[in-house]
Amino acid sequence: MTLNTKDRNVSADLLTVHGLSIAYGPTAVVHDVSFSVAKGESLALIGESGSGKSTIAKAILRLLPHGEATATGRVALNGQDVLALPEKHFRPLRGRELGFIPQDPASALNPVRTIGAQAHEAAALLGETDPTVRRAKILDVLEQVGLPDPARVYDSYPHQLSGGMLQRVLIALTVLPRPALIVADEPTSALDVTVQKLILDMLTELRRELDISLLLITHDLAIAAERADSLVVLKDGSVQESGPSLEVFASPATEYARSLQADVPALHPDRYRNQRITLAPAHDGGSRTPASSAPDAGLQIDVRGVTKRFSAGGKDVLACDGVSFSVERGRTHALVGESGSGKTTAVRLLLGLEQPDGGDITVAGQSTSGRSRADVREIRRHLQLVYQNPFTSLDPTWRVGRIVREPLDQFGVGTKAERAQRVREALEAVGLPSEVASRRPAHLSGGQRQRVAIARALVVRPDVVVLDEPTSALDVSVQAGILELLSKLQRDLGLTYLFVSHDLALVRQVADTVSVLRRGQVVEDGPVEEIFHRPQHPYTRALLEAIPLATAPTEEQTSKQLAKATA
Amino acid sequence: MTSDYKRFALTRAGQAVVVVLLAYVLTFLVISVLPGDAITNTLRDPQHGLSEEDIQRIVAFYGLDQPVIVQLLLSLGRFLTGELGFSLQSNLPVSQIVGDALPSTLTLATSALLIAIVFAVAIAYGAQYLPGKWAAIVRSIPSFFLSVPNFVIGLVLIEFFAFRLHSFTTTDPNSPVATLFAAVTLAIPVSAPLAEVLIASLDHESRQEYALVARSRGITEAKLFAKHLVKPSALPSVAMVALIVGELLGGSVITETIFGRDGIGTVVQKAVTGEDQPVLQAVVSLSAVVFVAVNLVADLASPLLDPRVKLREKVGA
Repeated sequence: MTLNTKDRNVSADLLTVHGLSIAYGPTAVVHDVSFSVAKGESLALIGESGSGKSTIAKAILRLLPHGEATATGRVALNGQDVLALPEKHFRPLRGRELGFIPQDPASALNPVRTIGAQAHEAAALLGETDPTVRRAKILDVLEQVGLPDPARVYDSYPHQLSGGMLQRVLIALTVLPRPALIVADEPTSALDVTVQKLILDMLTELRRELDISLLLITHDLAIAAERADSLVVLKDGSVQESGPSLEVFASPATEYARSLQADVPALHPDRYRNQRITLAPAHDGGSRTPASSAPDAGLQIDVRGVTKRFSAGGKDVLACDGVSFSVERGRTHALVGESGSGKTTAVRLLLGLEQPDGGDITVAGQSTSGRSRADVREIRRHLQLVYQNPFTSLDPTWRVGRIVREPLDQFGVGTKAERAQRVREALEAVGLPSEVASRRPAHLSGGQRQRVAIARALVVRPDVVVLDEPTSALDVSVQAGILELLSKLQRDLGLTYLFVSHDLALVRQVADTVSVLRRGQVVEDGPVEEIFHRPQHPYTRALLEAIPLATAPTEEQTSKQLAKATA
Repeated sequence: MTSDYKRFALTRAGQAVVVVLLAYVLTFLVISVLPGDAITNTLRDPQHGLSEEDIQRIVAFYGLDQPVIVQLLLSLGRFLTGELGFSLQSNLPVSQIVGDALPSTLTLATSALLIAIVFAVAIAYGAQYLPGKWAAIVRSIPSFFLSVPNFVIGLVLIEFFAFRLHSFTTTDPNSPVATLFAAVTLAIPVSAPLAEVLIASLDHESRQEYALVARSRGITEAKLFAKHLVKPSALPSVAMVALIVGELLGGSVITETIFGRDGIGTVVQKAVTGEDQPVLQAVVSLSAVVFVAVNLVADLASPLLDPRVKLREKVGA
């Protein structure tokens, strides 16, 4: 099967994987996978966590842990069977023929050695022995990947650079020896959206320039479709579907690929909207208010001109510089921005975890400034937070029942029996079976853990739930399930959401209104549709452009591509 | 380095001095609250044959007729000027007794430390790179080392190497070969915790993504170990080495007795049986100084070894 879609004169496939199966001990994780990548082409392996995509990548790179994993089948690079080669003969191919860009740039470089020292390892692969020539080549490539001050980067330690800069460094080190194929394992999933776009653009350009093939591992169908010539969709270690990207993307043949496509937020901006539109009359009529008891149906949260200053290393940083936003009862407001935009600080101020230097925060008509701690605590009981990462926000030694009950114990709500009843109700509301209560977080999947975190927030019957990037640690399809749940809960309980995210496509799906934050200031706010269709601020436009496949490929483009493929 | 580092180093050095002084005071108080008046008991021991005049002189020197706090201040003042007093048993200056015994113990402890580090690195390397079964055996060595008391190791070594193979004679305990075996005896139990820490941190570091990425660049395992893994794995061990010095000081008492060496261990043993307060006070203080100094070095080294270490004093100041 050749997935070459360009009418270029290509003699043979660069990488051919045939009947690859991988097992960890007795457990098979990859079953009979076959695909091939032609020279200069790109192919994306796509699937959720546990689909075996990273395992396949590691098998091709021969980086699977020794003695723990066994790979059978054939992986041929330029016709040479990689799996059958002894390590001694395979090592010369590492870096020189086969490059690797890892997922998390922050952990992919040795923390106690400088960038330069590690770059010399890559430069050595060119066969260059003179350290001054090597240094010059390293500085060149660092400049080529768009790093502003290569000499400074050369002398830096990894912790002194940002995630985006580190990923540029890693790409630089990977392309430096001019490999024939680069395996990139989720190269941008740890980065901000705008940085993600820049990195992917840069990688695409470098690939063209240097004629390097790419095997892209990703969970994000939109990125795969945008960046790869062909796709292989994996589920539970087996190939579900494969073919040219646009073909698979435009008309997925299998159920699984269809559901993956349906879960891409950018393609279905109105997915949850229907559920929320039904809320509007109820909001106007005010007849349905099971949770909110205040008589006025106006603003649930009103933040006015809030300022917060931190001093770090003798420098003052304005984390929030006159931030204002408000959320109507029963609505969803989104705070959007990248790392360092001040959105997390704004949330911490709202939750009372930090005290503002200036401005006023009103919750359900009650100002939180100038009140006793006990009063504020009582107000804040109606504000609950769902954290970003369910893998770290739940105490691993506690059982789920205790985790969900904790806020009730803290606020001393009800009798023991009442609390147990509330915990059962909360778990039921988030769609978890009651036996989950006796399990520990380690025995739950990421989606189930986030449901537990939501149950913990709901158990005190709050009016407002602050959702801090609630799905960024989850797979796209799991994300869809959580968003579905959140919109159902909002409809049933009349909850008000403050949704914090860097992902505008996601925000468009779930939020009614949005504030775009940058460097501690609100640069733009308004109804979601307006921001999306008529962005005023250049930063908002940059964020919007960073959404992969912001426009779905048209039928025309697809058929053109198909015609090319069959020609 | 920077002025931040200077400030950090000065603060730490100041703290170290405070710790040594507190250790001195604590030792003094513990010895003085012991039942019975140690000094007068010893002085009045007829075996000593001290005249009443001598006794009066010594009592006046240590201020024994005055309250404990005055004795403490007197003693502390002398300690700060380097004056350690006289042994109650031999009437020799304490500084001379300790000074005579110190080189032997220092040689023993230093060689034991080096041997322990070599053992620990070898065990950790083996545990990481030997093929499956052997690695498992090597991994169990530290717990074995830890479970054998050091006097047993010493006796076995003497029995085997001195009496059977005649590698050294017990009559000349200060010969290089005899010193080597004494050092091995002392090093074995001490190397165990160090090896455990090294194995654990090597395991951790070799699973880090940067190790994987370095392998993907075609680096050999030996180079990966030497260039990438040793330094980050050694960081937790540096603190461990500092703690081990404490064990070496304690262990040397037993080892010196077994091998018949004269050293601080023997001095302590005699001082305890003879209730020789000034000598005890001096040896305990000396141990505190050594222990604190080694830990100070470890503390000062860590920001130099690990660029990620933030100097906390910087934020606090």
